[in-house]
Amino acid sequence: MKRMLSLAGAMLAAVILTALPARAKELTIGLASEPTSMDPHFHNLGPNNSLLSHLFDGLIDQDENQQLVPGLAVSWKALDDLTWEFKLRQGVKWHDGSPFTADDVIFTFERAPNVEGSPGSFGLYTKGKTLVKVDDFTIHMKTAEPWPLLPQDVSSIMIISRKNGEGATTADYNSGKAAIGTGRYKYAEYVPGDRIVMERNEGWWGNKGEWTKLTFKPIKSSPSRVAALLAGDVDLIEQTPTVDIERLKKDPNLNLSEGISNRVIYLHMDHWRDDSPFIKGKDGSSIKNPLKDHRVRLALSKAINRPAIVSRVMEDVAVPAGQLLPPGFFGVSENLKPLEYDPEGAKKLLADAGYPDGFKLTLHGPNDRYINDAKIAEAIGQMLSRIGVQTEVVTMPRSVFFNRASRGGPDGTPEFSFFLVGWGSGTGEASSPLRSLLHSYDKERGFGAANRGRYSNPEVDKLIEEAVVTIDDAKRGAALARATDLAIGDVGIIPLHYQVNVWASKKGIKYRARTDEATTAFSAYSE
Amino acid sequence: MSTTTEHLQATAAAMPTAPRVESPLRRFTAAFFESRIATAAFGMLLLVVAIALFAPWLSPQDPYDLAVVDIMDSRMAPGEEAMAGFTFWLGSDGAGRDMLSAIFYGLRISLGVGVASGLIAMLIGMCIGLTAAYFGGRVDAVIMRIVDLQLSFPAILVALILVAILGKGVDKVIIALVTVQWAYYARTVRGSALVERSKEYIEAATCLALSHRRIVFRHLLPNCLPPMIVVVTLQTAHAISLEATLSFLGVGLPQTEPSLGLLISNGFEYMMSGKYWISFFPGLALLITIVSINLVGDQLRDVLNPRLER
Repeated sequence: MKRMLSLAGAMLAAVILTALPARAKELTIGLASEPTSMDPHFHNLGPNNSLLSHLFDGLIDQDENQQLVPGLAVSWKALDDLTWEFKLRQGVKWHDGSPFTADDVIFTFERAPNVEGSPGSFGLYTKGKTLVKVDDFTIHMKTAEPWPLLPQDVSSIMIISRKNGEGATTADYNSGKAAIGTGRYKYAEYVPGDRIVMERNEGWWGNKGEWTKLTFKPIKSSPSRVAALLAGDVDLIEQTPTVDIERLKKDPNLNLSEGISNRVIYLHMDHWRDDSPFIKGKDGSSIKNPLKDHRVRLALSKAINRPAIVSRVMEDVAVPAGQLLPPGFFGVSENLKPLEYDPEGAKKLLADAGYPDGFKLTLHGPNDRYINDAKIAEAIGQMLSRIGVQTEVVTMPRSVFFNRASRGGPDGTPEFSFFLVGWGSGTGEASSPLRSLLHSYDKERGFGAANRGRYSNPEVDKLIEEAVVTIDDAKRGAALARATDLAIGDVGIIPLHYQVNVWASKKGIKYRARTDEATTAFSAYSE
Repeated sequence: MSTTTEHLQATAAAMPTAPRVESPLRRFTAAFFESRIATAAFGMLLLVVAIALFAPWLSPQDPYDLAVVDIMDSRMAPGEEAMAGFTFWLGSDGAGRDMLSAIFYGLRISLGVGVASGLIAMLIGMCIGLTAAYFGGRVDAVIMRIVDLQLSFPAILVALILVAILGKGVDKVIIALVTVQWAYYARTVRGSALVERSKEYIEAATCLALSHRRIVFRHLLPNCLPPMIVVVTLQTAHAISLEATLSFLGVGLPQTEPSLGLLISNGFEYMMSGKYWISFFPGLALLITIVSINLVGDQLRDVLNPRLER
């Protein structure tokens, strides 16, 4: 009897012991770059937005595929071309217990563009929108001109509470004092450089998810991040280095999940200077900028062996690109495929354009921004050299590169002649890269902000401007696709590949890959 | 005056009676090759220098010509065949570069940078050190405090900052290395010059009212040279490893013209995935070069040091 009792006791203990960890499920995530703040409006930066989406909700959320789903707003619709109505979710509580109302939304849109010392403001999403409170749970947003991308803009703004946010500085958010959201998780601890800890918000309005406690650890060095996963210090890592993927795939104790991103890696080139600083004749003399000739641009694009870059440099973790966004995104063209590798055709085009012996070119690129960026640049150097374009490859850290690429030349003009860059579409559709990269540079109107090659085609401009004010989805999509067709046909930029992101996790945990490259606990789940 | 004459007579008398027929060079060579290790190191060094000099004729591929390096050949294991038909005896790197050729050319850069910066630093350091020792007093004090200041900073830190400011390129790396190394030479040469300066022949030269320049370069300098030879050898090895460190940290030479340090750095990220050859072989080449230079330098020190009586 005694034995039976002790046996039952042991069994009971075993049940309790195994049941306990199931109740408190913790997740530790190794991040590739550290968020710069806990203030959701301080810095419009991937790592910040990804992390803070745990603490705060937007009126509209973006799911794994950047499709819009209801957040703090249960529904939204355009009443007419210039007015949108948002119906807010009722019964939502802030982490401190106070109720969420339309006042908080109004306050958020006042604060978001005006954060002191912000290195990347959210102003571009709030610009041109006037908010009117209709009642506690209805808001009207008015714009000066038709703005079909309003829901996308709204989804980029995280809502903060007026009660806790009034007069609060970024430091108050970092200390946790003001970091009171409505999100799935509550702020617990923030130690810059070491960890960020969050606890589950038991009163969240949606499906709370299974993780009760989250710890985010920034581990910048890729080998260290992999080592931390292998050692079991973290459960999930982002930006798994491509060189290790082959080996990690074979490890039975790990899960890898990969997903195509909205980021295209491409070559930008000088379209506007007659004498481009980094292009010289074969004998070193200065020549007229050959990149102004469509045949030369097409030749350079044909000289690039995209499948070879994908297989040899990216270890098959990328997809050859023929336009600005992968198929399946809104506003992409059906007609564009990645250009075939054709070195002979490229040589012929160069000869036709009057450069049978090619010319000298310097290819600039960052070496710490995109996956394998320096190696891609070197591979392109090889491919261009093969058609006679003698290429020198110069790579540098991103802090130096982007400054020079945007305004390193005289009078703050872009400096480089030919360079490797990438663009991720934050809105998840084609207008973002078209407006920023291929519309003529127009600082006043916010077009061509990243058009560092100063490509300019009036027809493309017209289509883009038309598209961004067209409310009808089908018409807008068609205009965007047509603009892409024209600009890519004109070789405004040379697309190389779409980045594929790879997350690696411990056995037992899986990750739903996200196109926006974000790493969130609510995309991770137990098998 | 009489003492000088006596001294001269004594020397003249001693000369013919000396039975030695071997020249100083011969004596030196014999002493140097007494050690087997030093002989082996010297042979190794000769081989490395020959490889560096004749790299373009010895290499199966020009690793700096982007038109022949093919990305399709990347990360081949040692012994596999290239698309162009030759064999990658030591494998290929992430860009499809033949490791053997890359090491040969890398040795060229590493030795070139090491020797050039060693010699330039020696010239500058020597002039400064001799000036300090010869003039003494305030000049000496000022120069030596500058030397102290220079030596109090870690060489790699100063070089890193300089290269970051100057930018990439062989010439810039040499400038950075000269800047961090001249002080060693200045200090060494000053030490031996101070000893020499108090000797009679300098006094004699001063009495003859020879110009400062003549005394310093014709009388003082030749007698300070032996320790300098030792320092220049060891500092050259140091310069080579410094250059490799800079390149490893990604601030030295351009991506498309890798020196040994950059080759090691490029291969480093493949270490976890088992492609050892990309950083192992350049590392081995660097090790052999530096160790053989150091062994030769050690032996030179032993042979040239008058205090180590054998």
